Amino acid sequence: MYIKDLSCISPQQTYSQAFLQGRIEHFKTNHYLAAEPSYEELIPSSKLRRMGKVMRMGIGTGLPLLNKYPETKGIILATSEGGVEDSMNFLNQVVKYQEGALTPTNFVQSTPNAIAGLLALMTKNTGYNVTHVNKGLAFESALTDASLFLEEEPGARLLLGGLDQFSVYNYNIELLAGAYKKHFVDSSQLLGSGSPGTVCGEGSAMFIVDSQKKGALAQIKGVGQGSGLSLAELMERLRALLTSSNLVPEDIDAVVLGYNGDSETDTWYDKVRQELFPHQAVYSFKNLVGEYSTVSAFALWFATQLLSGFMPPKEAVLKASGEKPKRILIYNHHRAVQHGYMLLTV
Amino acid sequence: MIEPAALKLKLKEQIIQYLNLKDLKPEDIKDDDLLFGGDLELDSIDSLEIVVLLEREYGLKINNANEGRKILIDVNRMAEYIIANKTDL
Repeated sequence: MYIKDLSCISPQQTYSQAFLQGRIEHFKTNHYLAAEPSYEELIPSSKLRRMGKVMRMGIGTGLPLLNKYPETKGIILATSEGGVEDSMNFLNQVVKYQEGALTPTNFVQSTPNAIAGLLALMTKNTGYNVTHVNKGLAFESALTDASLFLEEEPGARLLLGGLDQFSVYNYNIELLAGAYKKHFVDSSQLLGSGSPGTVCGEGSAMFIVDSQKKGALAQIKGVGQGSGLSLAELMERLRALLTSSNLVPEDIDAVVLGYNGDSETDTWYDKVRQELFPHQAVYSFKNLVGEYSTVSAFALWFATQLLSGFMPPKEAVLKASGEKPKRILIYNHHRAVQHGYMLLTV
Repeated sequence: MIEPAALKLKLKEQIIQYLNLKDLKPEDIKDDDLLFGGDLELDSIDSLEIVVLLEREYGLKINNANEGRKILIDVNRMAEYIIANKTDL
C-alpha cells in the first residue's frame, strides 16, 4: 500500500508548512489543543456553524484530499471517541430535559461515523465507508481494512485517516484514573518528567492510499496490532513484521516510538530500543501532539515526512542519524495494553 | 407582560444562540426576514432547532409540520405565536 498524499491538523502547525519549516509549538498545560486553520474557504458557513471540533478537523483534512482525488473509491476512518463533546452534550440534554426537547445537531454529530458520512455526502462519494472505533488500535484496524480492500481491488484509491478530539469530560475522568500528569509539565520536559501519567492531545491525519508505486511518498509494508501482549510476544510480533518483508532489525534506519512521558509505560519503548534497535535513530512525537487514541495516524504522517526528507525538530530526536531514513518502524502502545506497529519504506 | 419589541429582540438572540449563527447580531435579523428561503440560509435541521428553542424557552410545543409552517416564517410570526399561546410572559 502506498501513500500518495496526506493532510494533518494537530497541536503543531502541520496544516500549513510552518511545522515542516521548523516552527514548533510548546505547551505548558496537560492538554495540547489542535491548531485549527480557518475553514471558511473550504466549508460553507451554513455547515461549519454546526460542526463540532472533530468534525471540523476531519472535514478540514479529508475534504481537500477528496477534492484533489475525486476518483477515491472509499473512506476508511479511525476515531476512538468521534464527536465525544456532542455525545456528552446530547446525553446531558437527555437528563436535563427528561428525554424531551433534544437538539438534533448534537445527536447527528454524536456518532463516530458521522465524520466519514459527512465527507461522503459533501463529495457525493458512494463507495465503501467505514469507521473503526476500537480505542487505541482504531487506526491500525483502519489501515488493515484499507490494505485488505486494496488487495481485493488493486486499482482502487482510498481516503484513510485517524482523528480524535480533546474532551473535557473524558479528560477529567481519565485524570482521576491516573492517565494524565497531576502537575503541568512543559512539553519540552515531558519525556524526561519521570512521573506517572501523560498529557492529552488531539488531531486528525489523513492519507490518500492506493496500490500504485508511481508518485508515492512512502510504502506501508506492513501493519500489526495486539492487545494484552507480553514483552516477549511484542518482540516476536515486531520481528515477524520485519520477517514478512524479508528484513531484520538491522535493516531498519529509524524507529518512531510513542514515548509520552509516562514513567510507568515508557519502559516498553526502552525495551524495544534496547532489544531490537540499539543503533538506530529514534524519534518521538507525543511530546509534540500529546496522547490520544488515534495518535498513531499522526505517527504515520510524521514518519512519511521523515522519509520525504523532513528534518525533525530537536524535540523529536531522541537519537540522531546523519542520514535520511529509508526504512522506518513505528511502534506505539495505548496504555501498555493495545500495541500497534507499522513498517514504512521509501 | 413582555413588550413585543423586547420579545422579538430576545427571540433573535435565542435564534443566534441555538443555531450558532456566530457571524450575526440581533440587529442583522429584521423582524420580517424570512427564516427559511431567505438570506439567513437556514435549513430543515435549523427548523428542528427552533422547534426545540420554542419548547425549552417558552414551553410551547409545535406538534406537526403544518402548524410549524405557519409559525416559523419570520420573527414577527414567532412572536405573535408566543404572545398568543404563553400566558406567563
